[in-house]
Amino acid sequence: MFSRRRLISGIVSISAFGLLSASRVSVASAAPKTPLVAAAASLRFALPEISRAFAKEAGFAPRLSFGSSGNLARQIRQGAPFELFLSADDALVVELFRGGRTADAGAPYALGRLVVFAPEGSPVKIDARLEGVKAALESGAIRRFAIANPEHAPYGRAAREVLQRSNLWDALASKLVFGENISQAAQFAVSGSCECALISQSLALAPGLADRGAYAMLPQDWHDPLRHRMVQLAGAGDGAQAFYAFLTGPTAQEIFTRHGFASPGQG
Amino acid sequence: MVLPVRARGKGVMDWTAFLLSTKLAAWTVVLLLPTSIFIARHLAWRRYRGRVFVEAAMALPLVLPPTVLGYYLLVGMGKASPIGQAYETLFGAPLVFTFEGVLLASLIFNLPFAVQPIQRSFEAISGEVRDAAACCGMSPARILWRIELPLAWPGIMTAFVLVFVHTIGEFGVVLMVGGSIPGETRTAAIEIYDRVQAFDNAAAGAMSALLLVISLIAIVIANVATSKADIGRE
Amino acid sequence: MSEGVKGLEVRLRQGAPIPLNAQLSCAPGEVLALVGPSGSGKSTILRAVAGLTRVTDGHVSSNGNLWYDTSERVNLPTRQRRVGFVFQSYALFPHLSALANVMEGLGALPPGSREGRAQELLELVRLGGLERRRPSQLSGGQQQRVALARALARDPEVLLLDEPFSAVDRVTRQRLHRELGQLRKQLRMPIVLVTHDLEEAVQLSDRMSILRRGETLQEGPTFEVLTHPASRNVARLIDQKNIFEARVTAQRPRAGKTQLEWEGNTIEASYRSEFAVGESVDWVIPTGSVILHRRVQPSRGVRENPVHGVIEDMVRLGETMLVTINVDGYSAHPLFMSISAHAAARNTLEAGERIGISLRCDDIHLMKARPADEDEQDQDGWPQNPAGG
Repeated sequence: MFSRRRLISGIVSISAFGLLSASRVSVASAAPKTPLVAAAASLRFALPEISRAFAKEAGFAPRLSFGSSGNLARQIRQGAPFELFLSADDALVVELFRGGRTADAGAPYALGRLVVFAPEGSPVKIDARLEGVKAALESGAIRRFAIANPEHAPYGRAAREVLQRSNLWDALASKLVFGENISQAAQFAVSGSCECALISQSLALAPGLADRGAYAMLPQDWHDPLRHRMVQLAGAGDGAQAFYAFLTGPTAQEIFTRHGFASPGQG
Repeated sequence: MVLPVRARGKGVMDWTAFLLSTKLAAWTVVLLLPTSIFIARHLAWRRYRGRVFVEAAMALPLVLPPTVLGYYLLVGMGKASPIGQAYETLFGAPLVFTFEGVLLASLIFNLPFAVQPIQRSFEAISGEVRDAAACCGMSPARILWRIELPLAWPGIMTAFVLVFVHTIGEFGVVLMVGGSIPGETRTAAIEIYDRVQAFDNAAAGAMSALLLVISLIAIVIANVATSKADIGRE
Repeated sequence: MSEGVKGLEVRLRQGAPIPLNAQLSCAPGEVLALVGPSGSGKSTILRAVAGLTRVTDGHVSSNGNLWYDTSERVNLPTRQRRVGFVFQSYALFPHLSALANVMEGLGALPPGSREGRAQELLELVRLGGLERRRPSQLSGGQQQRVALARALARDPEVLLLDEPFSAVDRVTRQRLHRELGQLRKQLRMPIVLVTHDLEEAVQLSDRMSILRRGETLQEGPTFEVLTHPASRNVARLIDQKNIFEARVTAQRPRAGKTQLEWEGNTIEASYRSEFAVGESVDWVIPTGSVILHRRVQPSRGVRENPVHGVIEDMVRLGETMLVTINVDGYSAHPLFMSISAHAAARNTLEAGERIGISLRCDDIHLMKARPADEDEQDQDGWPQNPAGG
């Protein structure tokens, strides 16, 4: 009984500590200056770098939440407390605007590029016209092919367009692996479980991927342009507005370019 | 203790996420345990028609895929639902994608983990012991406190730990109902998922290892505590 | 029910789930044994008195206080009835020491005096020195003592014992019988003892109530019930081995005798006016009232209700022999005689021998012949209706 009491008090105090400290944490992060940003998965490496640059100037950094643009838009419609939405598909932003969820119609901030990627050791030859993919498909070398889910990921939708245009969609149908968003598709690719994938250039350039395979950029006219558009959501605070402004500035644009995005005007 | 709020680099362990997981688990335990003791006791000792269905309903979260649970919770708590709207009227913010929403979901999907072990423990207490307590003139409250709870303690301990560990590990439901909002709903489990997508295997590995260790320790504590309790009674 | 009546008054009636049609009363300081086969509802009655089970229709009062009455809509919860209950399985609180177990019953006392009083009670039941032990560290007999002390802790108006010694070995049981017998002199409340052990009932109780299938068959002073069972059914339940049928052939009130004809033998019993000549009666005689005609030094008692027969079997039960006799001309059911072992040896009794016995007239008890239930057998497995009886 004695040791049981000790045990109980130990557990209770740990839990109490957990509760207390955690509640302090959420107070800190609920501080008005840390805006919540919903960002397309293709921005996974570009945005944190931009955010760090912003923090150097502004003294605070936004909280970032990545996902497929379609999924994020759904969450926003369901009331998720995001203040800024960086979509990979401008149509989603327009929808939200029409639905009254945004402060305004937003602004373009980048243009996405789709690439074909093969990890190290893959039998697939990479070229801009997917000839290598066709050959590998015919020889049966491709077992799995990763793209993002066309239903709600813009890069997935673009990937489908590209594959349909190249008459590869039906042939690959049984071998397709859908990532929940583009970074998950990339993760499938780099983990070696797929022989080939269609991902964003921003991810192909990312550390952890860049040195683990080869990629080739696909012609822009093979799919609807991936017009990235960002928007402030209704109720966005000052911090969000500040970050929003920063995103169109030269520092941010330079980082976007370095990460494989084209500038918005080119779409 | 104020954690530095800055953009994360790679390989850095996210303590926010861990504390969030702990906070969620701790609150779940605190809120659920009294309720589940009450429910478990009721199920252990009352016999009535339809009890089978109550027990089956209680066991649903055990067998349903988390996505099904998540779906129904989202429907039930979302912006369009009566509960969601009531909450929003009261507090000005929606229930989903908040810690409170995830906590509510956690209470629901942890119900069988809490109720079942406690129910078994109460069932193990012989009816005659309770009868004897009544004959001693003890009030129902005193019987609960002095006799039933101490004897059901192993089950309660087990429930406590199961709920705690299960909550820390819960992924699908939290993701669907809460999204992945840093500091609010991005628990450790979700953070690991996020790190993997960011190709940050170092952080993912470190956090996974820590979660594993925490879970193991919790289970060991529970086993030690229950076996000590039994020894005390042997 | 009249006020100011002391002791326990119980009347219970129920159809389902357990049929009951029982009544009993027990005065302060009296021990009432509730005897009956398993399933006869004894425990249900006890639990109903304590308020642990609810009976459809009934009345339970203690010292004039209504505890339960369906017509008055009174149903005091158990904790408001001052009952002491000793369970067959002890039902001690396994996580508390013996002392703590007893102290739980002392809620009515101020907190400071509880430990002292609990100590006193444990000494009373001869468990001093073991009060710190948990139930798992005590033997069965010791646990039962703790249970008794706990039951007494509440200074109960009624003490209820539900087969308290059946889970204990025989030697311990006999010791506990003795101790309870001594203890009860200090206890001034009605005590109801449920048991299936007749020995226990005889040793401990002042009154006995025979129960079968929830029905009270007979209630009265213990010795009275044992020697004068009301019917064949009761006789079986009190373990009478010699149950027979006979026919009244004559009534001789002035001589104080009723004459019967039994299997060609003429038997005389004490006069009972309620039987008509020619009527069939059941009769019983205790095994100890079957007297052997001594081989050596035959006594004058030879004349009393003589019967002859052949010894079929002899079984030694401790210091007594139980002799099974096939009576001449009556083969359906043997006659049982118990005789001290040394007397049997002195008379060199053996199986197969022909002997004469006398049935003590005063100990022959006559009962109204009632149809027995077809589906039952007595303890020896004999059918209810002895063929040709």
